[in-house]
Amino acid sequence: MQINGGSVIAMVGKNCVAIASDLRLGNQALTVATNFEKVFPVTDRIYLGMAGLATDVLTLRERFRFRVNMYTIKEEREIEPETFAHLVSSTLYERRFGPYFIEPIIAGITSPAKGSKPFIAGADLIGCLNFAKDFVVVGTASDELFGIAEGLWEPDLEPEDLFETISQTFLNAVDRDAFSGWGAIVHIITPEKVITRKLQARMD
Amino acid sequence: MATPNVYRGTGFDFSNHNRNEFLSNKGFPVPKAQSTGTTIVGCLFKGGVVLGADTRATAGPIVADKNCEKIHYLTESIRCCGAGTAADTEFTTALISSNLELHALSTGRKPHVVTAMTMLKQMLFRYQGHVGAALVLGGIDATGPHLFTIHPHGSTDKLPYVTMGSGSLAAMGVFESGWKADMERQDAVDIVCKAIEAGIFNDLGSGSNVDVCVITPEGTDMMRNYRKPNERVQKERNYKFRPGTTAWKKETIRKLVVEETVTYISGNAGTTAAEGGDAMDTS
Amino acid sequence: MQRLKAGEVNLGTSIMAVQFDKGVVIGADSRTTTGSYIANRVTDKLTQVHDRVYCCRSGSAADTQAVADIVHYYLQMYTQQSGIPPPVHSAATLFQKLCYENKDSLSAGIIVAGWDKEAGPSVYNIPLGGGLFRQPWAIGGSGSTYVYGYCDATYKEGWGEAETVEFVKNTLSLAMSRDGSSGGVIRMAVITEEGVQRLFVPGNELPRFWEGKEVIGVDQEKQSQPQAQQMEVEV
Repeated sequence: MQINGGSVIAMVGKNCVAIASDLRLGNQALTVATNFEKVFPVTDRIYLGMAGLATDVLTLRERFRFRVNMYTIKEEREIEPETFAHLVSSTLYERRFGPYFIEPIIAGITSPAKGSKPFIAGADLIGCLNFAKDFVVVGTASDELFGIAEGLWEPDLEPEDLFETISQTFLNAVDRDAFSGWGAIVHIITPEKVITRKLQARMD
Repeated sequence: MATPNVYRGTGFDFSNHNRNEFLSNKGFPVPKAQSTGTTIVGCLFKGGVVLGADTRATAGPIVADKNCEKIHYLTESIRCCGAGTAADTEFTTALISSNLELHALSTGRKPHVVTAMTMLKQMLFRYQGHVGAALVLGGIDATGPHLFTIHPHGSTDKLPYVTMGSGSLAAMGVFESGWKADMERQDAVDIVCKAIEAGIFNDLGSGSNVDVCVITPEGTDMMRNYRKPNERVQKERNYKFRPGTTAWKKETIRKLVVEETVTYISGNAGTTAAEGGDAMDTS
Repeated sequence: MQRLKAGEVNLGTSIMAVQFDKGVVIGADSRTTTGSYIANRVTDKLTQVHDRVYCCRSGSAADTQAVADIVHYYLQMYTQQSGIPPPVHSAATLFQKLCYENKDSLSAGIIVAGWDKEAGPSVYNIPLGGGLFRQPWAIGGSGSTYVYGYCDATYKEGWGEAETVEFVKNTLSLAMSRDGSSGGVIRMAVITEEGVQRLFVPGNELPRFWEGKEVIGVDQEKQSQPQAQQMEVEV
């Protein structure tokens, strides 16, 4: 986890969710790139964030893209966030005795047929799901993120308030982590639109 | 990488094992899996069985989940509490639950608790303790109520009251001092609740709420968060940020709702389509 | 060579089986431990693998249960196919085969005892490496090391049932009093042609004849020793 560094967080708001990652890619203490996003769109309404070994982040991004495409073709419908969370979970548990070194976070909004409800979930590296009602965090700054999010998060935040809360939580947490930072990207997902914002952060 | 065939073989995939061994030999710490340093208990009473669990999941010293569910569904009348590696308890119980359902369908009978116990112990024994699931299995079948513990290596015990997990010593203390044979339902629920609370308060690996599940011939009563002895007090003040606190460099908006504006080419401008436009030929 | 896996549930045990003219008496303590914690204080380490064949288990709980389950299965198949109950020797050979062929991954010390038409009563010892030895009496488990001398000095050929039960009870009590990983109650079984009788001695009624009257008290010594009770058996 400490080889490449990086952190991801997701939060629930009122009819919306937000997910954010930092942009650093390191080789231990050496920063190699500052444009390494760790959050990827899965469908229009579902985003997947992964923190951990960068090679596995990229490998799994492709594996999940493949498996979600296969699901969409076979089922002839978009995957639901909860179904996708179980897909992630079983993909990781398949490698129980030789895991991918990543921890995933899923953030999304259920389909209009299911009521456009906000959904977030986290998992450990072997796929144990955690369906949180408030926030989930992973990565090298997870300890810091846990503490700050526990203090700042409150229920029923509107999209713009949620943006401020997740951004401030994330920026302040990664500032205390040597392996995360160098900018951040935040996605706020609502039933109508997805707002993506790049944040300025400390460059040390 | 995405493989050309959609259907991979079933079972575990060990292909990352050598790479991970290399990585850990180079001194990179292996990321820790979530575990449930748990208190789980079970207790027989007159005509039924009660299971109990706390709701804390930990990753090292961090509380990873404050309200997780540790009483897993096997069948309608058989449930199983899990302690140890969280993913292992989750997936073993899910797998055995599926197999019990298939077993019920093929035999046309409700599965026995010993059947569930044997399936679990044989799976755990096969994996020689590497699947780190410590279980308390309880349920009702044609032969009455039964209660078992199953250790990660595959050994089982059959007892009238059992505890497992890191809080098992605290919980066993409660049972050893207060348990009686043939208790009433409420007395059994009370002592199970007390045993879990002993774990919650005295064991660092256990915490948050008490889940209780009562299984009788009449039915199963899953009481999620039966007690909440650790509810957070209302925050005195809220910490909402003023809009604009966070500066951003770039914004992109992806609209999920497609907006359309309709411009009428022919007909009377300003009238609605129903009045003015010609009906489309949809034959 | 043999070591318990980390966190393994252990039957740090005292087990015993003795032959007499009409049958065998087997006995065990009831303690199961994980490290220093007693995971089960009323364990039944005497496992029935057929009508007149039992095994006493010591070592890893998981390993011995798995082995006993497999032998139980084979003996059921044997009876179905041949129509006669299996000889004790066949059961012991099955145990021996499993223990020997998997000796690298098992820690199981098993005593097989029972009655059959061909040999009458018999006791087989299958220690750690997977050997097979017929003996008039056998002891096993961590507690047995303390009582080899007692058994050698006390055992006599030609005992009846009552004397044999008393011998097993006294030996196990001595072993349990010296061995920290043995304890609890004594469970016994008398296997004869007529059937199997299960016996039970509660932890507070164990023999303590060796402790001397300073400890026991003069009055108590005069009292007759309580007999082993009939054990309740789940069907």
